[in-house]
Amino acid sequence: MDVSQLKPVVEAIIFASDGPVTPRMLKNYIEEANGVDFEQVIEALNHDYHNSGRAIQIVKVAGGYQMTTRPEFAAWIKKMYMGRTSNRLSRAALETLAIIAFKQPISKAEVAAIRGVNSDGVIKNLLERRLITISGRGEGLGRPLLYSTTPEFLQYFGINDISDLPKPREIEELFGEGKYVDQIIEALSSGDASEDESQEDSHQDANQQSDA
Amino acid sequence: MIYRVQLENFEGPLDLLLYLIKKNEVDLFNIPISEITRQYLEYIEIIQMLDLEGASDFILMAATLIRIKAKMLLPKPPVEMDEEEEEDPRDELVRRLLEYQRFKEVALKMADFESQRQLLYTRRYFNQQVELEPHDWWDPQNSYTLFDLMWAFKEILQRAPKVTQHNVEQIPVTIDDQINYILKQLDQNEGQLLFYELLEKLKKRIIMIVTFLSLLELIRRGEVEVTQSSTFGEIWVRRKRWTSLN
Repeated sequence: MDVSQLKPVVEAIIFASDGPVTPRMLKNYIEEANGVDFEQVIEALNHDYHNSGRAIQIVKVAGGYQMTTRPEFAAWIKKMYMGRTSNRLSRAALETLAIIAFKQPISKAEVAAIRGVNSDGVIKNLLERRLITISGRGEGLGRPLLYSTTPEFLQYFGINDISDLPKPREIEELFGEGKYVDQIIEALSSGDASEDESQEDSHQDANQQSDA
Repeated sequence: MIYRVQLENFEGPLDLLLYLIKKNEVDLFNIPISEITRQYLEYIEIIQMLDLEGASDFILMAATLIRIKAKMLLPKPPVEMDEEEEEDPRDELVRRLLEYQRFKEVALKMADFESQRQLLYTRRYFNQQVELEPHDWWDPQNSYTLFDLMWAFKEILQRAPKVTQHNVEQIPVTIDDQINYILKQLDQNEGQLLFYELLEKLKKRIIMIVTFLSLLELIRRGEVEVTQSSTFGEIWVRRKRWTSLN
């Protein structure tokens, strides 16, 4: 089968699936597709959708392909789902997830040490939402449980791989060469929750200067 | 009636400190500890009145700040020739503040990702009750976690009849008994059973608990394996060596 023959088959599978379909799964399901690059098939499908003004698209998420509506139709769908959509994560939850994402596998105590607050409740909620999972035990005192992020985490944030997350700036980068204290203060202030556009800009400037 | 007053929303002591440093426009690498500590204490005095539980994390940091100040006030011992320059007592705190700041930035960007993704709708509300073919359930694509197993166990415990009075009595079963029970049940059912079927017939919570522990023991020994067909789906318990016995 070539790309044009495969298109409807791949489309059917992705449409009927309740989660992202990985290229490996597609390969298993479509025996006729020997050696075809599914990325090409997906591109061709998205091209078709775009050209015929359709409301759907196929996105790459959590290592697989998933059919979604296009963002410009969110307003209407939101009305349909009124009251049934999941709440946004709290700041505490986002902070905790950021730490787990970059330091996984990590224990509760290590998360709490970085955040400076007890994080047991937040971790329990994240477990229940399946954004994190218990992935093992640490070597340290009491062999504490270690936590890692899940495929659901990738889906929730619409990313394909953990490396798609924004990287935390390295401490060295924040320090600069020890001369850029003003910039660091500036960078710190731009991180505030109530930041506005202009502060965000100055933050980026600070970044570029320290790169230069 | 309790009134909860939401002050500036700080996620913890580090968050509050970053705020105070920014508000006072002071140099992060030369924090005026006494002034920042004074403002910090003012704040926790308020939260202590409102939320004693939440205040404990903040009090630990107050103690740390005061200890740093005390260290800075103490005369330093004479520096020996070979010794490295003495560390500023504030360094450890600055390091923690910077590390926390990094993740706070990432969390903000993740919130953007979250709102972008929430504009995309997928097909959902699929019927979770997919028919299971008893011999076709093993799919390496699926994985279960210990958390799934604990979750299922909690649900079964909730289904168990509630006992309101309590008598002290000897537990009538042992782990060994229940290991035999599980293996017997599995053998009578072609080597596999749904997790809830295994525990459903047991009427007492304590026997369920002992049976659950026995199941964990069997998994540890590698005699039994556990798998789940889908998220929130049924959990199967399977005798590992069953097929080879036939």
